[in-house]
Amino acid sequence: MISRLRYTVREMWASLSRNLTLTFAAVITSTISLLLFGLTLLIQQAFDNQLSTWSGGVEMIVYLNNGADEAQVDLVYTELTRQTDVIEKVTYCDEACTLTDAQKLFAADPEALDLLTAEVIPSSFKVIPVDKDNSEVLSSLAEGFRGLPNVFRVQTPDQAVKILGELQGFFGVRTLIISVGLLLASALLIWNTIRTAMFARRREIEVMKLVGATNWFIRLPFMLEGLLQGILGGTLGSAFLLFLNADWTSGVQSFSGDAGLAGFVVTGGYPYWVCFWMILLGAFVGAVGSATAASRFLDV
Amino acid sequence: MIKLENVTKTYTTEVTALQNATFDIAKGEFVFLVGPSGSGKSTLLRLMNRQERPERGAVWVAGRNINDMPDAKVPHLRRNIGNIFQDYKLLANKTVFENVAFALEVIGRPRHVIRQQVPAVLDLVGLGGKQERFPHQLSGGEQQRVSIARAFVNRPLILLADEPTGNLDPATGEGIMRLLDRINKTGTTVVMATHDQRIVNMMRKRVIQLDRGVIVRDQARGVYE
Repeated sequence: MISRLRYTVREMWASLSRNLTLTFAAVITSTISLLLFGLTLLIQQAFDNQLSTWSGGVEMIVYLNNGADEAQVDLVYTELTRQTDVIEKVTYCDEACTLTDAQKLFAADPEALDLLTAEVIPSSFKVIPVDKDNSEVLSSLAEGFRGLPNVFRVQTPDQAVKILGELQGFFGVRTLIISVGLLLASALLIWNTIRTAMFARRREIEVMKLVGATNWFIRLPFMLEGLLQGILGGTLGSAFLLFLNADWTSGVQSFSGDAGLAGFVVTGGYPYWVCFWMILLGAFVGAVGSATAASRFLDV
Repeated sequence: MIKLENVTKTYTTEVTALQNATFDIAKGEFVFLVGPSGSGKSTLLRLMNRQERPERGAVWVAGRNINDMPDAKVPHLRRNIGNIFQDYKLLANKTVFENVAFALEVIGRPRHVIRQQVPAVLDLVGLGGKQERFPHQLSGGEQQRVSIARAFVNRPLILLADEPTGNLDPATGEGIMRLLDRINKTGTTVVMATHDQRIVNMMRKRVIQLDRGVIVRDQARGVYE
């Protein structure tokens, strides 16, 4: 068992070093494609953060003062749910829920984050209207709620938020298509690297088969080689992703607080979760590419 | 040890490499397959280690019909068959020791077994002091001895040799034949394809003669005709 393991690792390493140029090309391609895949996820998350209060068709938010009593909350709720002809759905978001939204929105503004606590944050009602495109109905609806007791503010999305929402869809689809295309390219490159490696060692493979080596024994070093290339691509891509994300976050923090970009960053554990998936996907692409080549070209 | 029953092998509809070949080779026999180029000698050898499959008939090796053998079992069959080639098929980037050890390594033999068996077999073939040399540092005869050592290191039941003296001068060829004879005397069945008339006549072993895929002669202690 140990001698087999030693043999597999030694042969994998020998093959990697013999095809250095092709290995380099395959690793670089998978790095770029996986980086793009990771960036797609991060950008989507950044959009989600920035648009968190306006997700799911929410077109109006009624904020209540912190400390509004139950009767006042009920009054707003009753008023909202009464208007079934113009309002499709109402969701109550208590102080904790509103605080979570606000933390996403001010992720890159540490000063604002410090001021946000459950004691000062308002509760809110998120309103989905029947006709989302009728701005006149929305503004008269908003006007009607501004006068109710303990209503702190009634907000509707401005044009910039709508454009941001459209941009999210635009970028999301395109970057995903490009990254899938590049992932396919890196799988093909890994496939080609393994094919070339096998061709270069066809005499050895022929001898191995004739002396009774099993196909799995012959394939394994080549498969590990592809797997390693994929994992390397994923790891390098992850390192670049973390660097770019840190750079972007510090860049956004340097903007003034009212630039409206404070939510357009991704912090916490999410970037590491994306890195984990990038490495896993890299390993998968490498394994699939090399396994296909190692099976297809074993008859040398 | 080896039995062929009405074996026919065709490569294309026009080329029949072997036609209704039937013979039996006993354990420990030394058999020459003779005939002109393209007569089917190499095809016969390739059928015996399942590099090829016949269209019709059965090939039995060590009591098993190897045509019906699942692909996964073929490596285990080949561990009992050593192969020797005219062009040696040595790995240029490996030393003599590594070339022979390779055959044991790829079937998962532990290191201590390799360290013990490889020098022993190299002594047997007369290459005791040349373990660290690379193939290009050896003569043709020595390279063929390495190839024989690699084929025999696992102590196979059968040795298949395809024109092993084809690239060698007569004196070196005779040395190789003496070595194969010694191996045969250990109980290993040897099947050798050749059209080296001098060697066949010198050895006086069983001769199976082929002509355009048909066995035309099967003679004990035969000569080249």
